[in-house]
Amino acid sequence: MRPDPDTSYWIEGDAPETPQQTIQAEPWGETEVVGQPRPRVDGYERVSGSAVYPADITLPRMLYGAILRSPHANATVLSVDTSAARQMPGVHAVLSAFTPDDAATRPHSEFIRNTLFNPTCRYEGEAVAAVAAEDPYQARDALRAIKVEYEVHDFVADERRALETDAPPVHEGGNLGREPQTYERGDVARGFADADVLLEEEYRCECEIHTPMELHGCVAKWDGDNLTVWESTQGVYNVQTGVAGALGLPLSKVRIIGHYMGGGFGAKLQAGKYTTAAALLAKMTARPVKITLTREETYLAVGNRPPANMTLKAGVKRDGTLTALEFAGMGSGGAYGMGGSSLLDWQIRDLYTCPNVKTELTDVYINAGPSRPFRAPGHPQGSWALEQMIDSLADAIDMDPVDLRLKNTPTVSQGRDGIPYSTTGLRQCLEEGAATFGWNDARQEAQRAEQGHIRRGVGVAAGLWIAGAGGPPCTVIVKIFSDGSINLNMGASDIGTGTKTVMAMVVAEELRVDPNSVQIEHADTSTTQYASASGGSKTVPTESPTVRAAALDVKRQLLELAAEELEVDVSTLDMRDGMIVSTTDPSKNTAIPELQSLRRRRSLTGIGYRAPNPSGVATCPFAAQFCEVEVNTRTGEVRILRFLGAHDSGRVMNRLTYQNQVFGGITMGIGYGMTERRILDVDQTGKMVNKSWHDYKIPTALDVPADMTCVPVDVADDQANIAGCKGIGEPATIPTAAAVANAIYHATGVRVTDTPLDPTTLVQAIADEREGD
Amino acid sequence: MLPQFTYVRAQSLEDAVTHLSSDGARVHAGGSDLLGCLRDEVFDCHKVVSISQLAELHGVTRTSSGGVRIGALAKVAEVVTDPLIHDAYRGLAQAASEVASPQLRNQGTIGGNICQKPRCWYYRGEFNCLRKGGSTCYALAGESQFHCVLGGYGCYIVHPSDTAPALVSLAATVHIAGPRGTRSVPIDEFHVPPRQDPQRETVLEPNEIVTHIELPPPPTGLRSSYRKVRARGSWDFALAGVALALTLDGGSVTGGRVVLSGAAPVPWRSREAEEVITGQRVDAAVAAQAAAAAMQDAMPLKRNGYKVPLFKGLIEEELLKISRA
Amino acid sequence: MTRNGKDGNEGSGANSGGVSRRGFLTSVGSGALTVAAAGKVAAEATDTSKVLVAQEMSKINLSINGQQKEVLVEPRWSLTHVLREKLGITGTKVGCDRGECGACTVLLDGVPRYACMTLAVEAEGMEITTVEGLMDGEEIGPVQQAFVEKDAYQCGYCTSGQIMAVEGLLRANSDPSLHEIQHGMAGNLCRCGAYPHIFEAGARAAELQRGQGGES
Repeated sequence: MRPDPDTSYWIEGDAPETPQQTIQAEPWGETEVVGQPRPRVDGYERVSGSAVYPADITLPRMLYGAILRSPHANATVLSVDTSAARQMPGVHAVLSAFTPDDAATRPHSEFIRNTLFNPTCRYEGEAVAAVAAEDPYQARDALRAIKVEYEVHDFVADERRALETDAPPVHEGGNLGREPQTYERGDVARGFADADVLLEEEYRCECEIHTPMELHGCVAKWDGDNLTVWESTQGVYNVQTGVAGALGLPLSKVRIIGHYMGGGFGAKLQAGKYTTAAALLAKMTARPVKITLTREETYLAVGNRPPANMTLKAGVKRDGTLTALEFAGMGSGGAYGMGGSSLLDWQIRDLYTCPNVKTELTDVYINAGPSRPFRAPGHPQGSWALEQMIDSLADAIDMDPVDLRLKNTPTVSQGRDGIPYSTTGLRQCLEEGAATFGWNDARQEAQRAEQGHIRRGVGVAAGLWIAGAGGPPCTVIVKIFSDGSINLNMGASDIGTGTKTVMAMVVAEELRVDPNSVQIEHADTSTTQYASASGGSKTVPTESPTVRAAALDVKRQLLELAAEELEVDVSTLDMRDGMIVSTTDPSKNTAIPELQSLRRRRSLTGIGYRAPNPSGVATCPFAAQFCEVEVNTRTGEVRILRFLGAHDSGRVMNRLTYQNQVFGGITMGIGYGMTERRILDVDQTGKMVNKSWHDYKIPTALDVPADMTCVPVDVADDQANIAGCKGIGEPATIPTAAAVANAIYHATGVRVTDTPLDPTTLVQAIADEREGD
Repeated sequence: MLPQFTYVRAQSLEDAVTHLSSDGARVHAGGSDLLGCLRDEVFDCHKVVSISQLAELHGVTRTSSGGVRIGALAKVAEVVTDPLIHDAYRGLAQAASEVASPQLRNQGTIGGNICQKPRCWYYRGEFNCLRKGGSTCYALAGESQFHCVLGGYGCYIVHPSDTAPALVSLAATVHIAGPRGTRSVPIDEFHVPPRQDPQRETVLEPNEIVTHIELPPPPTGLRSSYRKVRARGSWDFALAGVALALTLDGGSVTGGRVVLSGAAPVPWRSREAEEVITGQRVDAAVAAQAAAAAMQDAMPLKRNGYKVPLFKGLIEEELLKISRA
Repeated sequence: MTRNGKDGNEGSGANSGGVSRRGFLTSVGSGALTVAAAGKVAAEATDTSKVLVAQEMSKINLSINGQQKEVLVEPRWSLTHVLREKLGITGTKVGCDRGECGACTVLLDGVPRYACMTLAVEAEGMEITTVEGLMDGEEIGPVQQAFVEKDAYQCGYCTSGQIMAVEGLLRANSDPSLHEIQHGMAGNLCRCGAYPHIFEAGARAAELQRGQGGES
């Protein structure tokens, strides 16, 4: 049986396994290399233009593919006439559901189950046909020449209308994909009865699109029945599974290479339909084919963070004790998949101590592009609701918002039936963050400074990420050559987080070499070892302990050889500056290249396997973020003056790339809260009107403050894994938007519950507030 | 990936005009707006006529009357920094500095900036809207977040230019060359409102080219400014903007213009606001009254009601600021 | 409205179909006969316009990183397409192909521009500098060095464009303030959100270029 692609950020069901690790390592104490701020081992490639991304590849005789997509929100393809396109200059192949190739109509093994060219086009951007031509301009010309006859149907594009009785069904059986999922602990009715203050509020987050800088794309090339694909991906093994499944090939015949890639954020966890199309076109033409999606296509067809509609009711006592939380969340993963409301409630279930919690999640279908995991699925949405509510509660009981959070920090994971966290730094995040930010002073100062129409405010929000522990399966090889030089072989992609650099530092920590000297092979299904996709903040906690285990394995072998040659007990040997030295008798030493037995062997190979995570504990990263804003109450303009992220992600592996992740998460969170939203023409055509970076506005250099501070709560989580680390990528973006909303409230007294926080929402709300004064 | 076209690099204005007289020919100045429209297939274009080599259309110079002549091919970035503009017509320099992004200001020309096609997402998108010869304006019943609140008639775009409102406030003149020679048009008459013709943005004929823009000598006591509110910090068109060019004497406004961007299908001169402030010292009450007057005829669409309080707040703020300066 | 009467080239016959069917950059000199698409024969006495005919390949000359390149192009080809797919100069990236991200930023005559919004033929006569042009052999230049030191990237896909924007900024202003750096970088998106580090790299690059290459 073929394994399902690992597209989740967390694992349900049986835990995957790697073989038992023979090395039993002690936790690190003080480290020499790990934790330092180190520029990247591949920095040169990234700044010189010599790093080769999939989009940069040009192969001999390579053709360019392009995909024709349905322009309608809901339509059936009646016919596809490709005759004119086939006659166009430079065109070599055309493929559609109506061309004789069964691959085009077989179930396509994307994580949504669908055929490659499905005549039932349930969303704008569904693939209808593909072409290959000598150059990309000719490929586009050919697309323009394909005549498609559509039967256009009614559609529903607003998830809030999907369950209305007259809403057109996206699938037979209606738009409720499954029964709402519920969770309950304690007795919320009693909790509300016990409360001194009850508040209830509705919140909405707009749909967010990943839009990584590098367009989705690949180059496919056949050698006989062996397929090689260079893919811009977060996980080569996922792509391998997807492509092999779609084409009916053995996994061993499908080689996926994904060295450099230009960002993914969850949108590049699996093969695309374009990947299969490129492979098919390459087969048909017996030439390599490159397909790079257009920016517009990436807005429609390769994922999004679903819109979320949430209601939260909360009860609190005067002393700040939370008594009950009741949450309902509704979202839509589009026309396929059921990730529309995934994990919306996790912050509510797990972040604060609260005995009585009830949640309900509803997922509906709409005629829009399918969602994909997006940096902490569900979490920024849930945070938007919960963290604004906590702020409102603090206001209502006249308590400092940081104090109210501190009053309710948990030590056990209530969402997981009360098992303890391996470590929790939530309290330190709040305390150290507030201290470094100067929270108390800034909060008072902002209110004192209040004059005129420019108002200042500060805001805080906290968060945790459900995953971030990483886990098996994962295998890594560290090889040492006879001259002492080292090769690290791992399957993981470096999606820009600095994975390669961190892993070179782990090797360097154990083998006492310069991290820059570690040669790295990675992200290639034929030549590197299995790793799950890089996503979900699990790459560093998955790979680091595995790389450490492999380094220790090779070190053990090396020291055993040295012990024999130096005639000392192996336990007295250690490595230092390329030398193997006896700690008891420093005169007993050797340079690695001098080891005769190593010279005869040529190389030593150490293998590391990712050990299972400890049972009975939950491992999560925690976060608290603080910001200060200035609001022009006449125009609704918001200027963020400064931001601070205090994070517990276990041991800090590289202070520089860690900080970069924190700042990047904050930047993305600013976009989520303030500038970004998919806009569908819900009342007329269902089409997306803002499928460009001009109209879909991600933050620019002028939307983020230069004044950002990273406060790592650097406590190793030695119970979690032998590197003591947890993930940082997702938690860095979870609380950001809510922190901004809370700061705006502090500045203006206006609570805006719907994103985006820009003049289009704020100026009216402020004007209304003034009217009410 | 652009569709096919023939490219012509004209060596003289006459040749450019001749080439533009053929069907489906379009002028390429900086090219930033043209290539975007071609990519989105907003209109057919068989021939791109580049005027980038025409030396006579470049440069910023002082005129004999004491005004300034800005060649149509002056880059927006030049308009930001040229001392002739920066020192005397500050509002125009400010407006130019708010255009798009640094790279686009290095590419886009002042002539192209005032001739831009609308950024309406229906117009640029796959919608056969009224402005493209269809029968309906999709913004009317659709997603109108960034559309007009004044001057809409059948079509509800906003004019995308930042420099045009500033030029209107400064009473500039647009000089045009065409097959029958040259002509000049006051910039307030250069842009065509949809009531007059929903399928054109300017009075230019397809074979006419803007050659230069002339600013009159700055009147005594002139203060000018441009302020733009947008949804993100850079690379964005105005949600609301206001260009002011007022003459003040002893603290009282003696004349001048208030021009709005992001409000209407053309740069929108608010005579209502001008009337309120003329002859007045602008205090909080006068500013509020002027702002209210500017919006008295506003007719928001389904999703852009926020523009009314936004314009009021913005106009108020800018009037108070320029009067205090 | 004023109208200056002039009937200069009326009736001289418009060239609606292009003045040449030859597949390369053409100058039509005095007295040349041209055939309009409609089949009309027109004498074009003075037109010296350069014409590249649709769908045909024409030779143009580009000066890239100090080297002259002669390339065959279609008139519609963008500078990014020619650099990347025809010349293999792939440091310049494509993020949107519509002037909305900055990944393709190059210097044209020393000034940052979007190569995707520049027709290759329009770049004739200008000095084109790509990120590869900042290298001294295998050595990276000061702006590149600053990006490495400050970790001013994550995925690295926007990085070439960011570096060229800083390079352009510093060529115009060797000692920019933070405010000037922020505004200078306002035409380059970074979805990973490395902006704070990019600002630091901008300041560090200015130091390095001024020869103050001490410890950062």
